[in-house]
Amino acid sequence: MKQTILTLLFIFCSLALSAQGLQVKGVVTSADDGQLLPGVSISVKGTTAGTLTDATGAYTINAPANSTLVFSFVGMKSQEILVKTSTTINVVMQSSTAMMEEVVVVGYGVQKKSVVTGAISTVKASDLIDMPVTRIEDALKGRTSGVTVASSSGVPGADATVNIRGVTSINSASPLYVVDGVPVVGGIDYLNQGDIESIEILKDAASAAIYGTQAAAGVILISTKKGKSGAMQVNYNGYVGTQAPERKLNLLNAKEYSTIMREAYIAAGQKIPADFPTPQSLSAGTDWQSVIFNNNAMIQNHEFNVSGGNDKSTYYASVAYFDQEGIVATDISRYQRTTVRLNSAHKVNKWLNFGNNVSYSHIKSKQGFSTNDYFGGVLASAINLDPITTVTQSDLNPATSPYATHLTSIVRDASGYPYSVSPWVGQEMTNPAAYIQTKLGNYGWSDNIVGNIYMEIQPIKGLTFRSSIGTKLAFWGDYSYNPIYFLSNTNSNLTQNSISRSFNRTLVWTFTNTLSYTRSFNNHNFTFMVGTEARDQSNQIGIGSTKNGIPVTYWDQASMNYSVDASKTSGWGYEDQPYTLASVFGRINYDYQGKYMLTAILRRDGSSRFGSNNVYGYFPSVSVGWVVSQEGFWKANDYVNYLKLRAGYGVNGNDNLSPFQYTSTIGSIGGYTIGGTNYTGYGPTAPANPDLKWEQTSQLNFGFDAKLLKNITAAVEIFKKTTTGMLMYVDIPEYVGASSKPWGNIASMWDKGLEIELGYNNKIGDLNYSIKGNASFTKNEITDIGSNDHLVNATMQSSAYEVSRKVVGQPMNEFYGFKYLGVFQTQTEINAYTKEGVVIQPTAKPGDYKWLDVNNDGIINDLDRTWLGNPNPTFTYGFTLNLEYKGFDLVAFGQGVAGNKIFNELRRLDIPGANYLNSALGRWTGPGTSNSYARLVYGDLTNFGVPSQFYLENGAYFRLKTMQIGYSLPKSLTERISIPKARVYVSGNNLLTLTKYEGFDPEIGGGQGIYGIDRGVYPQARSFMAGLDITF
Amino acid sequence: MKIKFILYSTLAVLLLAGASCSKSFLEVSPRGEVLESNYYQTPDQVFSAMVAVYNCTEAEAGYGINWYANKLAPLNAAADECWAGGGSSTDMMMYQVWNNYTMTPANAPSSKFWAMDYAGIYRANLLILKLATPVTGLADADRDRYIAECKTLRAYFYFELVRLFKNIPLTTEPISTADMYNVVQAAPEEIYTQIEKDLTEAIPILPSTLATTDNGRVTKGAAEALLGKAILFENNTSRMADAASWLNKVNTSGVYHLLANYKDIFDPGNKFNAESIWEISHSGTAQSQWGPSDFRGNVYCIMIGPRSYAALTDPVHGAPDGDHTYYSGWSFNPIIPAFAAKIHNDPRYKYTVADLDSLVAIGQAAYSGSAGYMNTGLFIQKHAPLLKWKADLGADALNFPNDVIEIRLADTYLMEAEALVRGSGDLVRAKTLLDAVRARVGLPSVPATLDNIYNERMLELATEGHRWFDLVRTGKAATALAFKGFVSGKNEILPIPLEEMNNTKLVQNPNY
Repeated sequence: MKQTILTLLFIFCSLALSAQGLQVKGVVTSADDGQLLPGVSISVKGTTAGTLTDATGAYTINAPANSTLVFSFVGMKSQEILVKTSTTINVVMQSSTAMMEEVVVVGYGVQKKSVVTGAISTVKASDLIDMPVTRIEDALKGRTSGVTVASSSGVPGADATVNIRGVTSINSASPLYVVDGVPVVGGIDYLNQGDIESIEILKDAASAAIYGTQAAAGVILISTKKGKSGAMQVNYNGYVGTQAPERKLNLLNAKEYSTIMREAYIAAGQKIPADFPTPQSLSAGTDWQSVIFNNNAMIQNHEFNVSGGNDKSTYYASVAYFDQEGIVATDISRYQRTTVRLNSAHKVNKWLNFGNNVSYSHIKSKQGFSTNDYFGGVLASAINLDPITTVTQSDLNPATSPYATHLTSIVRDASGYPYSVSPWVGQEMTNPAAYIQTKLGNYGWSDNIVGNIYMEIQPIKGLTFRSSIGTKLAFWGDYSYNPIYFLSNTNSNLTQNSISRSFNRTLVWTFTNTLSYTRSFNNHNFTFMVGTEARDQSNQIGIGSTKNGIPVTYWDQASMNYSVDASKTSGWGYEDQPYTLASVFGRINYDYQGKYMLTAILRRDGSSRFGSNNVYGYFPSVSVGWVVSQEGFWKANDYVNYLKLRAGYGVNGNDNLSPFQYTSTIGSIGGYTIGGTNYTGYGPTAPANPDLKWEQTSQLNFGFDAKLLKNITAAVEIFKKTTTGMLMYVDIPEYVGASSKPWGNIASMWDKGLEIELGYNNKIGDLNYSIKGNASFTKNEITDIGSNDHLVNATMQSSAYEVSRKVVGQPMNEFYGFKYLGVFQTQTEINAYTKEGVVIQPTAKPGDYKWLDVNNDGIINDLDRTWLGNPNPTFTYGFTLNLEYKGFDLVAFGQGVAGNKIFNELRRLDIPGANYLNSALGRWTGPGTSNSYARLVYGDLTNFGVPSQFYLENGAYFRLKTMQIGYSLPKSLTERISIPKARVYVSGNNLLTLTKYEGFDPEIGGGQGIYGIDRGVYPQARSFMAGLDITF
Repeated sequence: MKIKFILYSTLAVLLLAGASCSKSFLEVSPRGEVLESNYYQTPDQVFSAMVAVYNCTEAEAGYGINWYANKLAPLNAAADECWAGGGSSTDMMMYQVWNNYTMTPANAPSSKFWAMDYAGIYRANLLILKLATPVTGLADADRDRYIAECKTLRAYFYFELVRLFKNIPLTTEPISTADMYNVVQAAPEEIYTQIEKDLTEAIPILPSTLATTDNGRVTKGAAEALLGKAILFENNTSRMADAASWLNKVNTSGVYHLLANYKDIFDPGNKFNAESIWEISHSGTAQSQWGPSDFRGNVYCIMIGPRSYAALTDPVHGAPDGDHTYYSGWSFNPIIPAFAAKIHNDPRYKYTVADLDSLVAIGQAAYSGSAGYMNTGLFIQKHAPLLKWKADLGADALNFPNDVIEIRLADTYLMEAEALVRGSGDLVRAKTLLDAVRARVGLPSVPATLDNIYNERMLELATEGHRWFDLVRTGKAATALAFKGFVSGKNEILPIPLEEMNNTKLVQNPNY
């Protein structure tokens, strides 16, 4: 060792001597943007002598005559320049990406884009830069073909329903998220969008097979930003904005409401209550929506990141804060997230390197009411409450009931006036202003530590062993205080307050080892990869405690530190069931001259969730590609510049079922009181099914990538996806008596689709522009549901009639119900509607629906229901337009769906006084008035209490999601103050929605059970933001 | 080279380790759940399994998830005693449609009764099957008693089902996965045969009396009373002597006697009293909360409480007493004034009817908001949510401690009297029994005619869930319930639940 140092010293000295020649100086700039490049390495070829450019991109170096200077910089193409005399050499570095092959993350590795054979879509950081989106799912919306993203609601921080290539399963199967190589379970809202470098979506089974049993619904690979060697870069990016509801419902005002209700009372043969106001005495009344909506809800995001490094170590670190107030009941609807990330990579020597990607996030989320739920909450109340009732009483202490009888528990506004209690609309509907007061200070929180550390060893050229451990350590809980209140006769807490806390923890770890070997000879290129992976998701626990009757009045005084009698304290706890997964997998990539290519994958997954008869599942795939345009017979032409054909087939699985469903376990199934003691009863929870296994999805995919007319890129795919053995509860009859239903591998379905992505970019003078568009057509059909005739989805309020069904030969969850032929205008029409001389609807009155007798048996009953429409969009599309002119840039991004229906279930049917949408003004009031909207009868359910075409509306919409205009300060200015980049922008979200749908928002996500059913969804906000993106 | 060797070896070991340890890695055991194959092996486990069977009797407590179960609310709404009531004409549709006789398989309360009773039958069938294998530590006598209890409860569930639906599947052991969809309905006679068989087998084994710590479990008297009642409901005149003889065993057992004060029968402070033969127990101490759980308290109480009720102190009359201070409820089952008029002059009236309008009139109560749907000002007193019984902890609505007495001595007296009259038995004893019931509340003797007996049942058992069954079995329903829209030949039974027709071989009841 000592000798080596001496040798080195000697060489150094001799070089220093011989370098006494020429002095060269100059500046180095980037060809991309003309910016000065600090940290560029300049060396004298064949020696170790060298230097770096300084912060202004300038350098000075001494070099021998006729020597060669090598300029190198990460991400740039190295340049060599022969030096003959002392001189100034200014160098312009070319970005190497133009030369280097673009790579695509493919799962346990990367692949050159040119030889990819699967259907993989990529979203780059550059597409998302400065885009004010709150969650990653949102960032994918409309970006790429084949991916349908529907926000489950506009609740700040709400997740979204992501379907890759249509609905894959009867179950709510969501894609697998893999962040920096580690599968992440339990949601990805911990991620800060600014930290994302790229998102790859494995759409076809051939690509996704590498993730086996978790991949049936597609795989989304997320890579976070890494440091680059070079000078330290500090970036601030932030925006502040305001949000408002995009639109409100058109509900009846007080005058209209009174008119219609009076009419309804009379039609029902009921007396109009003596104190029910007349229309003449009323004006517009209360707009309950204005009580809950905030037209100026704040949204802000700030993030700093620092990155840099040298040829040994690189780092990327960021800290970000995001804060969004809800536009509905802002006091109890808000989402705040703080994230910290540190990614670093280190090269120990030429065969060993290691690194880590670690993030921490803290989320505080207030959401004091449910959404898309007709059982209350402020949205349902604002829709259903009558407009007659005022927000507050005008007396401080009204002598009337219920105010006089609930003096201490009635909820009051800041000035002490009681919030009104509606005498006309009750049950779960309560004054939203009062409701908000009872939920103040309640929130949920979570702390997530997600990260991985890895080590890579390259013992010989081409052979890489990589070992990685990824973990997610998460803590979450709730904080709530329940005061004494009286909201209505059925919603009050009169005796004592209570305070609750809950605390949960989970630890998930994944241990992955892969060995890959790359070899090329005679234009044959091979990569072999084998690996193992183990995951343990068995460590979730939770506890909670409630204290009743603490001595405080307001939420901000509440604390668990108050002592109450032990009998007034209760607690609970749980431990989640264990879940482990062990896998072995391998992949071969082969190509010849980059012209013919093949990928083959096999994965074996063992899951503790599978039945004892089926512990292991095998998931193979093969895909091939052919670059036709590289063939000798291909004549270069101006129309098709590049053409690659691809085909693939693969099998994936879905083990998304609860543990131990394969066996019959004994659980608590209801207790009984014996001798004054409350005993818990135990019994089998569900019948056993030892054959239980994963759902299997196989997919055939054909596609091509092309470059046309020099400026147009195109990718087209067709696919057919078949899912078999779908896991579902076996709908066993109740007479079996089981406490719950067993799981079975029951149903099958297919999705077929066509996806097109087109891109075009060009420039006119200083104007650079590009437009990217994508469109997907998907069809879906259920082909088997076992021995079931049909499967029932969510039922309609107050009846057992389902809103939608799953049936062989129909799309998933097709809406199901009654159809009408019109409205009976006269008694004569009722009498004339007969079957073999017998009147079909003998009890109908003029103004009632004339129901279609589907089975033609002369009576209208449950057998006369039929198909009403498809909740799944069959056509989804999106486009992005980019314009750049000198320092200005504009991005417009829009997205839409078509071909689906929405079930508008906004009105609460079992509350006869519930308000109506003002389409009710078009109701039947006499012969000739309406043939589609039946008469209104107080409390009547014959016309409106059953699912029918009345409730279905066209769900198509187009939405201008984002429009952003930015301005980057000119170089001449920024260079003077050593700021490489400074951009200001204004941005608007959800600026325009074109739809015929009557509800708040046509974008209705949510689980499979309620997909496409609107029960008062929390609408998306329209927002305006101003932001700054600056790099130091 | 040495380094490379070490490196490769390490790699190989790591890879192999990952692959080979997977089998044991995948073998995990459930937490907090026992595999069915490992259960029913200790006396405690058997006891817990029996608790689960009893669970299905306490309909008042919300079997299933928040369906505000209980059989009293719909049965009272179906009879001529009460309206459905509640918050509106659509509140608890399943009660409203029975009240109006506009039931369809989709909206009737059928599925709730059906699910609960069949769950009970399955649990009883399973436990009987499991007890065929000896359980270490479980004495034979205890095992036989568990079996006898399961049979009694199974008979109870079938009796509920056959009366409500008439045409029902009959199984006495768990239905296998293969047979689940092939089950067909049995003739009602077969059901009754099974009920009698089960009860006859159970009676010799069940204890006559219980230790206090066993209160809530069935006794010999309960099984005998149920058997007598079941035979009576079979409506076969030739078997009335049988019915009378079983009921006689209960009535003369010496275990039971009529309470001196009628009001004390329903007092939660007086549970398992001497008149109570079959009592469905509840508890006010379980701290039940809203959520997907079953409740130990009696939810029916809050359901029938007057809506928007507020207690007032009147300057003249003072505050209402504890028996007339209510907890504001949801006003289901308001009593129909015409029915109240029929029982108004009976001494039992004030213990049967909570006359809220009278309390309002004398300034001891007020409606603090709108009254309930079809409010009559008259509510049920026997299970009323009295403020004094409201539990301190848990959700107010879910922790009322009131039990529901399924069979009590006055009922078995009247049933024995009826069976004697109908079977031309000992008419003197029939009169004695009828008079005993009347004398307890200070009423004079009347002849033991069927009309008098039925009238006495109406007065004595009002709002206890017997009236609708009595009207139907005596053929009086068509007349008595005409004002509600009762359709003869259809509404004597409920429709088979719509969900239950899916994929099965069941046949819907006539005219539904």
